[in-house]
Amino acid sequence: MWYENEGNNKDVILSTKIVLSRNIKGFPFPPKMSDADRENVLGMVRQAAGSMNLNFVRTDELDDNAKADLYNQFYSGYAFLNSDAKTGYLMSRTEGLGVVINSTDHINIVSMVPGSDVYTAYKRADDLAVKFEQSMDIAYTDKYGFLTSQIKSVGTGMQLLMTLALPGIEKTEGAVQVLAKRVEKYDWQMIPMTHHDGLRESGIYILSNVATLGVTEQEIIDKTRKVQEDIIKLENTCRKNICAKKKSIVEDQYYRAYAVLSYCRRIETAEALTLINWLRLGQNFIDTSDADLDWNRINKLTQKVRRNYSDAAVKGMRPKDKSSARAKLIRDIMKGGQAT
Amino acid sequence: MRCSRCGSQIGNSYVRFNGVLLCDSCARDLKIDEVFRRQNALFDQAFPMLDEFPGVFSSGSDLDFANAKIRCPRCGTTLRELESGGQLGCIECYNTFNESITKNILKLQGSSEYMGRKPAQASEIEASEAPVQEAEPEKKTEPKAAAKPAAKAEAKAEAKTEDILAKVKDADLSELTDKEIEDAMKKAAEVEDYALAVKLRDELKSRKGEN
Repeated sequence: MWYENEGNNKDVILSTKIVLSRNIKGFPFPPKMSDADRENVLGMVRQAAGSMNLNFVRTDELDDNAKADLYNQFYSGYAFLNSDAKTGYLMSRTEGLGVVINSTDHINIVSMVPGSDVYTAYKRADDLAVKFEQSMDIAYTDKYGFLTSQIKSVGTGMQLLMTLALPGIEKTEGAVQVLAKRVEKYDWQMIPMTHHDGLRESGIYILSNVATLGVTEQEIIDKTRKVQEDIIKLENTCRKNICAKKKSIVEDQYYRAYAVLSYCRRIETAEALTLINWLRLGQNFIDTSDADLDWNRINKLTQKVRRNYSDAAVKGMRPKDKSSARAKLIRDIMKGGQAT
Repeated sequence: MRCSRCGSQIGNSYVRFNGVLLCDSCARDLKIDEVFRRQNALFDQAFPMLDEFPGVFSSGSDLDFANAKIRCPRCGTTLRELESGGQLGCIECYNTFNESITKNILKLQGSSEYMGRKPAQASEIEASEAPVQEAEPEKKTEPKAAAKPAAKAEAKAEAKTEDILAKVKDADLSELTDKEIEDAMKKAAEVEDYALAVKLRDELKSRKGEN
């Protein structure tokens, strides 16, 4: 999976996701589409993608393993993967790159990379978008640009989302507000991440672009880099500062978190994320020689705890079985095993 | 506590009206308790008060549902749906709700002018971005890379610029032509010698003023 690969600044920026939305002329947007229209669009997109080296799959024909894969690969929603609406995916051989058909728009090109490499993420998605635009009649006007089903993405049709782990900023008084204001200046917005169970994910934030009109794609990418620089700098300063001033507290919490995650037999998502947050805070700035832990394992832990398909399932396992399974998964990763 | 009208002892039930304490029976006599009784009646009867303000409700509904009447002829999306969720139903909606969309976009994004790339045109980001990534280290090593032809040409041009500037600095400005001064001014601005550039600009201005 793409998230297991190395990425720049992965200790702060977990992932960067680009979504380019395009619609085909002559059809209503997916929320207003009939089943026949949906089938037509699925067929047309599949045909257009014939020469693009993409594999077509229908969501309603997928088994649970394949759905779990898409859930992690593109951060698709559980409800979307299990709905009866006629939707589909085009999967690229490049991990983290694909097309979701009949979701919010007819074509949503999704490109995900680990870390902060926004340029690679954008370029891959844009190359696919150009090919679709060349082979299909895409909805576009000179006034509004690419027409999308949501007003917020009309124009470039580009949504850029970064998942950030900010334990340092979160634990520094007033730093979140300072960062949120700073980010606003670049026309971005930062919101705390909420898990699918409704609880806050400790230290995890989502950063997304607001403007899709009045800016070029180049400007969005440039602004992203500036925002990334600011965030990484601020986060590292905060982590360093906390670890220097409250060394004994951070060390204590770090090793407690390490111990609990290594030996727990049942654990809830919110608790696990709070503990991982302490690991992230201390990893670079305190003496961690007694703990056998590296960034790869911390990132894997974060990903597996945050995105777990069987966890998101409404039916299936009972809550206590879920927490046991989660604890086992975490223990395996802590030991350095190959948790799936 | 005693009733301020009849002076009897007040039990659990009393009415305070404009700061005056009244017992239950006096309040009933003065018909002050009617307001309170009607509130109690609310719980006993289903919607007893509703028929008393039909006018208020109908005028309210006119305002509330005005947006629901404006529909996209093609997909049936109402203006109200658009304004509450920012969701459009089809491409035709962009024509039907043009005014509202522009207003909403301005509110959301601060601009309604499209500046992105045209469809099916490859993005130019690669071309303009590559130098941004590599320019910084290259800039630093530029003097060392003089062996390359491009670098040679640049070095020559630089040397020429320096010559011109040295000449202008030493020379009496009145001996130079307008064009020479203008060229030198541009060159001075390029190499960030702003003092010289300003001096030359003033000279040009004064000459134009004389003519």
